[in-house]
Amino acid sequence: MTVPPDFVAVLPLVAAVLAATAVLLVDLALPGRRTAVLLTALVALAVVALAVIAIGGEERVAFGGAYTVDALTTFLQILFVAIIALTVMFGPDYLVPRGLPVAEFAIVLIFAMTGAMLLAASTDLLLLFLGLELMVLPGYLLAAFHKSDGYSTEGAIKYFLLGSFSSAIFLFGLAFVWGLTGSTRVSDVAAVLSTFAAGQGTLSPGLAMGLAFMTTGVAFKIAAVPFHYWTPDAYQGSPTPVTGYLSVGPKIGAFALILRLFVEAMGPLRADWLPVVIVLAAATMTLGNLVALTQNNVKRMLAYSSIAHTGYMLVGLAAWAAGRMEGLEGLLYYGAAYSFMNLGAFAVVAALQKRSGVTSNLDTFAGLGRREPLLGALMVLFLLSLVGIPPTAGFFAKFYVILAAVEAGGALSVLAVIMVLNAAAAAFYYLRVVVYMYMRDPETEQPALRHGRLVWGGLAAATALTILLGIIQGPLLDIVGEAARAIG
Amino acid sequence: MNISSIPILTIVTFLPLAGAVLIAALPRSAARPVALGTALLTWVVSLILLIGYLPRPDFQFVETLDWIPLFGIQYKLGIDGLSLILVVLTTTLMWVSILASFRPIQERIKEYMISFLILEVGMIGVFVALDTFLFYIFFEIVLVPMYLIIGIWGGANRIYATIKFVLYTLVGSLLMLVAILATAFAFQAQTGSWAGAFDLTVLRETRFDPGLQVFAFLAFFMAFAIKVPMFPFHTWLPDAHVEAPTAGSVLLAGVLLKLGGYGFIRYAVPFYPDAAQTFAPLIIVLSLIAIIYGAIVALVQPDLKKLVAYSSVSHMGFVTLGIFVFTEQGLQGAILQMVNHGLITGGLFLLVGVIYERTHDRTIARMGGLAGATPVYAAVFGFFVFASVGLPGLSGFVGEFLTLVGAFDFSPLVAAIATFVMILAAGYLLWMFQRVATGDLSDFLRGLGHHLTDMRPVEVLTLAPLAALVVALGLFPGLVLDLIGGSVGSVLDGAATAAPIRFALWP
Repeated sequence: MTVPPDFVAVLPLVAAVLAATAVLLVDLALPGRRTAVLLTALVALAVVALAVIAIGGEERVAFGGAYTVDALTTFLQILFVAIIALTVMFGPDYLVPRGLPVAEFAIVLIFAMTGAMLLAASTDLLLLFLGLELMVLPGYLLAAFHKSDGYSTEGAIKYFLLGSFSSAIFLFGLAFVWGLTGSTRVSDVAAVLSTFAAGQGTLSPGLAMGLAFMTTGVAFKIAAVPFHYWTPDAYQGSPTPVTGYLSVGPKIGAFALILRLFVEAMGPLRADWLPVVIVLAAATMTLGNLVALTQNNVKRMLAYSSIAHTGYMLVGLAAWAAGRMEGLEGLLYYGAAYSFMNLGAFAVVAALQKRSGVTSNLDTFAGLGRREPLLGALMVLFLLSLVGIPPTAGFFAKFYVILAAVEAGGALSVLAVIMVLNAAAAAFYYLRVVVYMYMRDPETEQPALRHGRLVWGGLAAATALTILLGIIQGPLLDIVGEAARAIG
Repeated sequence: MNISSIPILTIVTFLPLAGAVLIAALPRSAARPVALGTALLTWVVSLILLIGYLPRPDFQFVETLDWIPLFGIQYKLGIDGLSLILVVLTTTLMWVSILASFRPIQERIKEYMISFLILEVGMIGVFVALDTFLFYIFFEIVLVPMYLIIGIWGGANRIYATIKFVLYTLVGSLLMLVAILATAFAFQAQTGSWAGAFDLTVLRETRFDPGLQVFAFLAFFMAFAIKVPMFPFHTWLPDAHVEAPTAGSVLLAGVLLKLGGYGFIRYAVPFYPDAAQTFAPLIIVLSLIAIIYGAIVALVQPDLKKLVAYSSVSHMGFVTLGIFVFTEQGLQGAILQMVNHGLITGGLFLLVGVIYERTHDRTIARMGGLAGATPVYAAVFGFFVFASVGLPGLSGFVGEFLTLVGAFDFSPLVAAIATFVMILAAGYLLWMFQRVATGDLSDFLRGLGHHLTDMRPVEVLTLAPLAALVVALGLFPGLVLDLIGGSVGSVLDGAATAAPIRFALWP
């Protein structure tokens, strides 16, 4: 019996769905056995990762060009699996004291991962949309996970309304593009657009409008300024482990969409959208940082700072559009580095909230350095990485993006200067957390908490990656280089 | 085993890190001895470097390892005479600082010692790195422990001071990162190869086009001018010094400010000689302003530590002045002045710490008559005050004298202005000493009763090596001048062929 090649290509997706189902069944068979559920989830995720690696050895095009497995797909899918695995590890300590179910948490996350993995492999506009929705729908669910908490439901409603709204805008634009190019295949759209770029014929107003709508829809998803308003409320309201996931998973997913859409489909028109991305990047990082400066809630602060990080990643995209391959590599490196350091920072916030009723205000961090020295030291590491202080992953990621921008020259070197000034401003609010942890005494003495083994395991992994990606860059550089060459 | 195959620079750089890890693993009571032991061991290794060093102009003990081959980024270490004396200065001040912290610091001693040892890694790393990327990394690493040292163990207004310190320094250094990258790309565009694009020894042989030189020099200038600090970028310094714990101030003045001067001599001037010539007049004017301004402001300071901090601004003005007059004596004087300032101002901060520990006050007006009550303290204090004034026979004199000779070659007027300020320096330092040490014991000090004790043996021990070096370098400046001859020559050779860039703002 031979397995059809199309089926082989989507094997990781099948594995992901089976993984979610397996967790569901284990929870059904052994109700209340959290350890069994979590172990199943982690083992299943490992299997998915193995499937991704096994399938990703060669380039595969399936379903008539709608689904592609290339180096970029493999890289992104592995990254998604890692993000979900870390989130699953960080979740229970927050969820259990609040009486929230752990198994459902893991299952919904794995379903979201399936969507993100589909997104990473789609080379068809409609399939991209499908992956996007499959990724964000579980996200709405997760945002409202603490359903008895008013903030959680409020944030979820905002997230849901604006998310659906932006999806609709995206779909609207997609319809225009399909109608005027005659295809939803990324490669076909690129072929049509390249005739315009070559000077044959002009871009029709309808097509331009379609592309603009799709850009707007995507800008919503990555929370680029001025489409970022949903982020702070959604992030602050959600349960903290969910916030950590939301600030990383859907963002990297949306960047996967951007890579397929801007780089592959709209690549021929890059000279036209380059100014748009430059303005978006500059506005996004500057505004994100400025607003983050005034936040007293750490979750909200990290939400705004994640907007700023979106801006930094957009600099990589702009550098690619200006002709530098390093821009794309930098974007991917940044994505990986950002995922691990940001998840790590959120994990510490979540770990502090193990006792229910503890807020994520800055006061919670007062005296943490003395109360829980190890947790405090890890938080310092993640924050320094988010600032971009060497030798951490965050530093090298920023360095690489700036490198690409400086190399591109012209307007991009101005953008690089804006970026470094932003990085310096960001140091202020990240270090404010350090000030609270080490330089302020708490108003009331808090007991040290005992954290689960899974949390420590996840933190160890995030820490190791945050340090290693800052010191030994070679292996990941090779991988992102290959991934970038697959599309650029 | 061949002696040259031992990576001795890596050892001297990362030995403190090993000590920091050890302290983290051991119980609290072990923090002090382990920290001191590590610092002393590092000091001994740096002395081995001093013995093994041959007075030649090239870089020695070079270690090279490919790090990011894609861009020619290397892990490359090496020292010449300039790096060597600054490394030895660092390792010396480090064990002095750690010893001086034994009593004053009782809170979170583990974190404190770890911060200091990591600070030492960064500081030594800056001086031994021969790759601009690596240099940048060490330059930034220095920031974090100092931020914690001021912020956790500092005075009442410490958080404002430490954030200001970080933000100022970060803005400058990040702009420098952009300039490092722009230089690397310009190199790659000129030669078509990435090999050497971050290599100090290769880059300083490369002549870049004027546009890049101007931009990159200004970015490096920002980074180093903030670090030195030059007027008008100096405002973080008094805050940081006043709030920092004593040992933090010692290292801040003794080593961190030197990173700026070192950066000018090692990077900004050799890489962009034409731009350096172009901006030299402006920098000389700023240096003169710093020299005068620092002295005048020091004159009116009511607080001992603030007075020493502003005197730093004035003294460091001599360093930048000496560098940018581009004469042999000027540059020698600047380097000597960096070492002297590290020793003398480090000593003064230690002495301010000694009195502060007893009185919990640094107001000059409340002091008086210490010479009678604490004769040893007053004598040591007087010694360092005179060294700072520039008394011949002590090291401060030689550095300033050489700088002035160099400045005279450049322009008698500049030398005249700078010389005039030495009178001001004598004024504010001696006036301060008079108010603190002479006369009757003040009511405030009398009120302390038996708490006002003279210096303890440990405190004398921390100051003795600094005093010995001040005398030794004052009598035998050749000890340092022989070592730095090669470095000075190579910088001046590059600068000699440079010509100021002419700006054409409108064609």
